[in-house]
Amino acid sequence: MNLSEDQIGALLPAFMHVDHALKISAMGPAIARHLPHVRVGMLCAEAFTIVNFGIAQFFERKTGVEAIRIISLAGNVSLSGAAIFHENGCLLAVRFVLSEETFASGTLDLSDFGHSDPVVLSSMLIALQRAMLEESQATAIELAHERQRSADLLERTSRVAGYMAHDFNNLLSIIQLNTKRLSSRFGHDAKVEKLANIIHETASRGSDVTQSLMTLSQQQIDTLQPISVDDVITDNAAILRSLVGSTISLNINLQAAQRKSIVSYNGLLNGLINLLINAREAMPQGGRIDLSTSVSSGLIPSESGPQIPKPCDYIAIRVADNGHGMSDALLSRAFEPLFSSKPNGTGLGLASVRNFVGEMGGDVWLESATGQGTTVHLRLPVAGSSVAPFTGVVDTMSSTSLDAKGQQRILLVEDEPYALEALFEMLESEGHAVTACKSGEEALIAVGQETYDVLLSDIVMPGQNGTEVARQASAAQPSIKVILMSGYVPDSASLEPGWMFLHKPMDSAELLRVISA
Amino acid sequence: MYGMIHRAMRQMVFEQLGEEAWLALEHRLKIGPTELLTGMVYEDTLTFEIVAEAAARFNLTVDECLFEFGRYWIRYAEQGSLSSIMTFTGQDLASFIANLDRLHLAVGAAMPGTRLPSFTTLERNSGHLVVEYRSDRMGLENFVCGLFHGLMDRFDTHGDVAITSRGEKSVVFEIRYHDGQ
Ligand code: HEM
Repeated sequence: MNLSEDQIGALLPAFMHVDHALKISAMGPAIARHLPHVRVGMLCAEAFTIVNFGIAQFFERKTGVEAIRIISLAGNVSLSGAAIFHENGCLLAVRFVLSEETFASGTLDLSDFGHSDPVVLSSMLIALQRAMLEESQATAIELAHERQRSADLLERTSRVAGYMAHDFNNLLSIIQLNTKRLSSRFGHDAKVEKLANIIHETASRGSDVTQSLMTLSQQQIDTLQPISVDDVITDNAAILRSLVGSTISLNINLQAAQRKSIVSYNGLLNGLINLLINAREAMPQGGRIDLSTSVSSGLIPSESGPQIPKPCDYIAIRVADNGHGMSDALLSRAFEPLFSSKPNGTGLGLASVRNFVGEMGGDVWLESATGQGTTVHLRLPVAGSSVAPFTGVVDTMSSTSLDAKGQQRILLVEDEPYALEALFEMLESEGHAVTACKSGEEALIAVGQETYDVLLSDIVMPGQNGTEVARQASAAQPSIKVILMSGYVPDSASLEPGWMFLHKPMDSAELLRVISA
Repeated sequence: MYGMIHRAMRQMVFEQLGEEAWLALEHRLKIGPTELLTGMVYEDTLTFEIVAEAAARFNLTVDECLFEFGRYWIRYAEQGSLSSIMTFTGQDLASFIANLDRLHLAVGAAMPGTRLPSFTTLERNSGHLVVEYRSDRMGLENFVCGLFHGLMDRFDTHGDVAITSRGEKSVVFEIRYHDGQ
């Protein structure tokens, strides 16, 4: 096969050929382009240094192929490749050394390299990939912003929906309470009673609408009331059993039926479900879970703030499995949000249980060892059992708080005059002694003057809001039972453990029950 | 086409008409950042929809918009890491065009699934080039025209681009140019 100089030049644009006297006898177009002073007939040594072997010994080896590196005398051009020896001299099959700088600087370009030069392709690939990476990073940032934007929008919309629901619930509450008033006053007239029923039903339907609005705006529509943990478990035993599956036996032993704790029903149920799912996943081969409750007393360290542990009666819930257990290392991280030992776990289960229990004024901890199963202990304070911490405030009236007929001294706070009036009338008609206040400020003055069994307060009010009134009232009168009501779901962190929460519009019977609970 | 092309189109709308115009375009076509992923291949119909929608906003015909986009693409490719590739491809109009296939060869290796064009220089004289463009896509002549104009801008030359013949999958362009001074 004989190739012409042009053909060799197309393959190796920087090639050179030297004869036995080491004179350049041919060269590629790229040499002519970049080193215009180099001419055919010139001694190689006049323009180049051969780095890896001496000029004197150049033709000592007359045949074969040697690696070669050549640098121009001016030092600006570096070539490398193969020296191919043959009978008429040596073909220097070299190419420019391509560094990152020369690639980007424009001193060399594609025409200086052969078509099938792999180094060129890889250099271009690297640059392309870098460009794609830059763009991908920019895209990732854009996507993150986009997500944030949608989240913000959703947040704003939810908040607006929440406010609307709040206002609407307040109005419904007024309608409900006054309808009740109407029917208790004029209910003997069948026509009035019928109309009152229609209004009541329509308002209930309105309340359903606000509930869906609130669900849409991701606000839980849960109340905080004294609840029997045993009842929650018994009512949901079928669900809980189906959750653990048929290969696991769930043994339920409930010993706390007589006591109640102020918790959110759904929160408690979710917590139990989370714990049972964890237990089930610890026993893929099947096993046994003991779910038990009991009542004890002791100190519960408060999770919310630096308060000292409170002595109280509590309901102890125990969920024990005989699964694979946890090592100390796992155990120490088990409550961390987003930490999960399971391949598809979200790591939110135990973290949310702890969150919930903390908000309810209780605590939770784990006992476990590898191969020994895991036991989760949960403690929830028994409603009304908290012994006042010795802060110097003495509750002088606590022994006389309930009179024989269950009548209570109620401090009622509500800024909506129609709702205030209706509530006042309803509570009075039940025989309670009610002090009605139109604002938080008025209520705090009343707290300073008299002792109350119950504080029943709206939350969202101009000036002092309900939670602030509740905080100051409980500090002044630690035995006061706090019942807050709102059409808006308060941030659970703003409620203190032991406080009850009723969602407006509330059912009068439910309100009376909670007051005398 | 690759999301990279969509991003360039967005950049052009952004620069010349502002972010709002692009967001309105996205809204109209029901697309978002997920249609602009550099390394994703999208249906050509989507690419053409984007061009058509942009054309309407620029108050241009689709062909005029393709021309402008071609011209813009050269400037776009001069930014960031792509610039080194542009620099390496050639130092003057004629050798740059002669090396375009080698540039796209690397693009094809880095971006699987591309259907890349081919450019062959049929005649090369001083200030005069005859270039055959081959592609299995139809209707991109104005884009190519714009690209050639963009390249002339890049090399600080002026001139005209004309179509001299059309084949089934090829179009022959004649470029007459002279230095910018
Ligand atoms: C760094 C520079 C460049 C990059 C990264 C690049 C990349 C690409 C990519 C990704 C496509 C889309 C292919 C597909 O998705 O199927 C494309 C198409 C195309 N490119 Fe380039 N390109 C570059 C420079 C150029 C230049 C300077 C020209 C100038 C003439 C050009 C002409 C074209 C044409 C005409 C198409 C349309 C495809 C067709 O006709 O079928 N490109 N290029």
